[in-house]
Amino acid sequence: MPEIFINGQSVQAADNQSVLEAARASGYYIPYFCWHPKLSVAGNCRICVVQVEGRSWVEIACNMPVTEGLRVFTDSDLVKAHRKMVMQFLTLNHPVDCGICDKAGECTLQDYHYAYNGAPSISHEPKVRSTKFHDLSARIVLDNERCIVCSRCVRFTHEISKSCALGIKHRGDESLVRASEDGALDRDPYSDNVVDICPVGALLSRQFLHKARVWYLKPTPSVCPGCARGCTVQIWHRKPEWRLKALDPKQNARIDRVTPLENPAVNGPWICNKGRDLAAILERARAEAPMLKGKPVELAAAIDAARRLLGAAKRPVALVSSWGSNEELAAFKSALSARVDAFVKEDSTPAPGERLDDDLLIRADKNPNTTAARALFAQLPNPAVFPADTDLVLVWGEGFDFARIPAGARIIFLNAWLQPENGHADVFFPVSIQTERPGHYTNFQGVVSAFEPCFPKPPGVADAESLFAALGAQGQP
Amino acid sequence: MPGTQLLMTFPVTATSHSLADYRARGGYATLMKVLEKMAPQDVTKEVAASGILGHGGAAFAAGRKWAVIKLDDGQPHYLCANADEGEPGTFKDRWILEHNPHMLIEGMLISAYALQVRNAFVYIRGEFDLPYRRLAAAVEEAYAAGLLGEGILGVDFSCDLVVYRGAGSYVCGEASGLLSSLEGKRGYPRNRPPRLTVKGLYQMPTVVNNVETLTNVTAILALGAEAFKKVGTPKSPGTQLCSISGHIARPGVYEIEHGYPLKKFLFEDCGGMPAGAKLKCIIPGGISTKVLTAPEIEPVTYDHASFAKAGSSLGSGGMIVIAEGTCMVRLLQVMLRFYHHESCGQCTPCREGMGWMHRIIDRIVASRGRPEDIEQLYQISRWNDGNTICGMGDAAGYAAIGILDKYRDEFEHWITHGRSRFDGNLEVVGNA
Repeated sequence: MPEIFINGQSVQAADNQSVLEAARASGYYIPYFCWHPKLSVAGNCRICVVQVEGRSWVEIACNMPVTEGLRVFTDSDLVKAHRKMVMQFLTLNHPVDCGICDKAGECTLQDYHYAYNGAPSISHEPKVRSTKFHDLSARIVLDNERCIVCSRCVRFTHEISKSCALGIKHRGDESLVRASEDGALDRDPYSDNVVDICPVGALLSRQFLHKARVWYLKPTPSVCPGCARGCTVQIWHRKPEWRLKALDPKQNARIDRVTPLENPAVNGPWICNKGRDLAAILERARAEAPMLKGKPVELAAAIDAARRLLGAAKRPVALVSSWGSNEELAAFKSALSARVDAFVKEDSTPAPGERLDDDLLIRADKNPNTTAARALFAQLPNPAVFPADTDLVLVWGEGFDFARIPAGARIIFLNAWLQPENGHADVFFPVSIQTERPGHYTNFQGVVSAFEPCFPKPPGVADAESLFAALGAQGQP
Repeated sequence: MPGTQLLMTFPVTATSHSLADYRARGGYATLMKVLEKMAPQDVTKEVAASGILGHGGAAFAAGRKWAVIKLDDGQPHYLCANADEGEPGTFKDRWILEHNPHMLIEGMLISAYALQVRNAFVYIRGEFDLPYRRLAAAVEEAYAAGLLGEGILGVDFSCDLVVYRGAGSYVCGEASGLLSSLEGKRGYPRNRPPRLTVKGLYQMPTVVNNVETLTNVTAILALGAEAFKKVGTPKSPGTQLCSISGHIARPGVYEIEHGYPLKKFLFEDCGGMPAGAKLKCIIPGGISTKVLTAPEIEPVTYDHASFAKAGSSLGSGGMIVIAEGTCMVRLLQVMLRFYHHESCGQCTPCREGMGWMHRIIDRIVASRGRPEDIEQLYQISRWNDGNTICGMGDAAGYAAIGILDKYRDEFEHWITHGRSRFDGNLEVVGNA
């Protein structure tokens, strides 16, 4: 545990730490572009400089090992002058088109310009022009003029996603980040992380391109339901105070983008592309009315009908959703498990072509809460065999083929989506989804992560948790 | 010939590069002596005692570099000869590769033995054609004669030598960029620490030496450190191969004993300026060294200390002679174009700064200069000094500062008059 001194203050550093890491761990801020806690040290941006006491020059902190008694200054005049110099170099050929750049508002270059430079360029030369809107993949566009060649994205594909999909070609101020071969980045299921780690607006998400200024959005912590990893994410949506009045009101209740919520216990700072595409999962057409055999009814009438069916059934069986939250699963357990045989149902299975699993994040089980569900309920035997005398099946969640339900059995169905099965059920309840209610998922390691509501529930939609309580209530309907 | 010769000891003939001729000159006797009679540590001591300074440009003591390698650290060590001779004006290693390749191989084997290296490499620049063919042929001859491979000369010492051709990048002549390129990666220089002698090729301790340095190892071990030190000056022992070009009557590669008077070398050995031109300045050792004007070189002798005293450096030994009447603005333009073209683009100051300086000088030459341009060139040069991953950013800055310091008036002339002072037109003086 070497002791070092930062700006005269004693700091306990860990062995093998760099000065930059030691400073960050103790609350001293040293600016950096190319350094990233999860990537190797490139040392190419040159802005993380510090001055060692007694030396008349500066050195980069990201590559300076801590040694006992080292004394560094992070804000000496020389350091300040040097940072200003680096900012002059970086903005020399940068287009400074913040007004039309998606990164504006969360851009390191923009922040550092105000923090460490604050002066216009001293150059009179025309800027070096380069490629705009280069499609690195179907998902990611690259603006080479904005790129500061920090190589974070290249190192990410080599060290984290291991696809080696990106490289740098050409030299000097003509250096270009490019895909190593055609379609290489398309084949990387973690590709969108390079958009997050890009310190400038060079790498942009095609989905989010020119969708919204980030300061009009707010992030709500959530959990990706895409697989059993349960990565914590931030769902970005319109701030209520910046609600759009003139345009389609759906824009105010829409997932604008999804970014990782750093979580060392589960996903670190990364998520996969499926997590970015939560809108494709969570913004499908919703079922919004309770139904009796396909006929819309009031919620109270549907509850009454379901309770009657449950009361009359001799052998009721329930299929429990592996997308239910811990709270919903517990509510089901306490309300109904004494009266029905409950089994865990696999709501979603891998899509054709989807990566099954790997060493980084992606898991083969494509449901978020199988762990919690299996802790409470038995597994449905495979192939699904219902007891011969089954006369009522309660299906919670999508992904179950109604043809497998024994002929003659009545069906109670809880589903969030507009699907043809809804009308085949004797009683149908539309239920809320995770962006409309708080809750927790337990991932395959047993780590519990919370999600919070982003949007109000559509009218007519019920929370499964309160439905179970109502269905399980004692007494005649 | 300018002083004692250590490498150019034989007349160049059609076969003088062959193994047979080299053996006839006493070649590989030193290697045999070393393998039979000396321990590896003693070889390193001998090289350190000789005081030889690296011939690649930085003049770092080879003995000190070698001393970092611990023979008993249980890791493989690597040796690499830097034959990526890319410094403009320098073509001295080419002479060794073309005419004395076996002396390099012998020097590398002795060095490999001293450093306990199993695999040695020669990184040769891609543009070298004849040198590559000569070296590759020499390596084949050496393998056939049992001088490379398993059990060299019947002794328990094995070493393989791989000749690797670069793809033509200036920055791959920088030792760490060279190793990155040799590993098959992009030729980006690496940050220090760690030094290459701690973590070099494939993260193992690696010694990278210039071709001439490794060739001199043969001479050191053949003569003994004591006799080697008698050549040259106490601070710069030995000789330097100097490639001289530009406005000079007899350009070429010369071996100069350190301490030899520079003016004598220029005006007697090289025949002086062609057609009676007057000397304006010289670039002493590759364009990254500061220019020395004609008056400045009067007291200079050809050794490191003397060049340092004159405010420049001996560099890589690639001397360019510049006659009176040469436009220094255009000269700097050519140099900055080179640095812009060759900047690898890895670190910010060099990537952005080289192009910036190039665009400024282009604008001056296009007669659109501004008075503040000179100060801005200075500023970019200073910003690069010591702030880049490798030495290339500094080198470009030194080169620019050297010329700007001494020939500022030519830049001011172009900026105020819109033309070169040396374009042949008469100066219009006063208000006619």
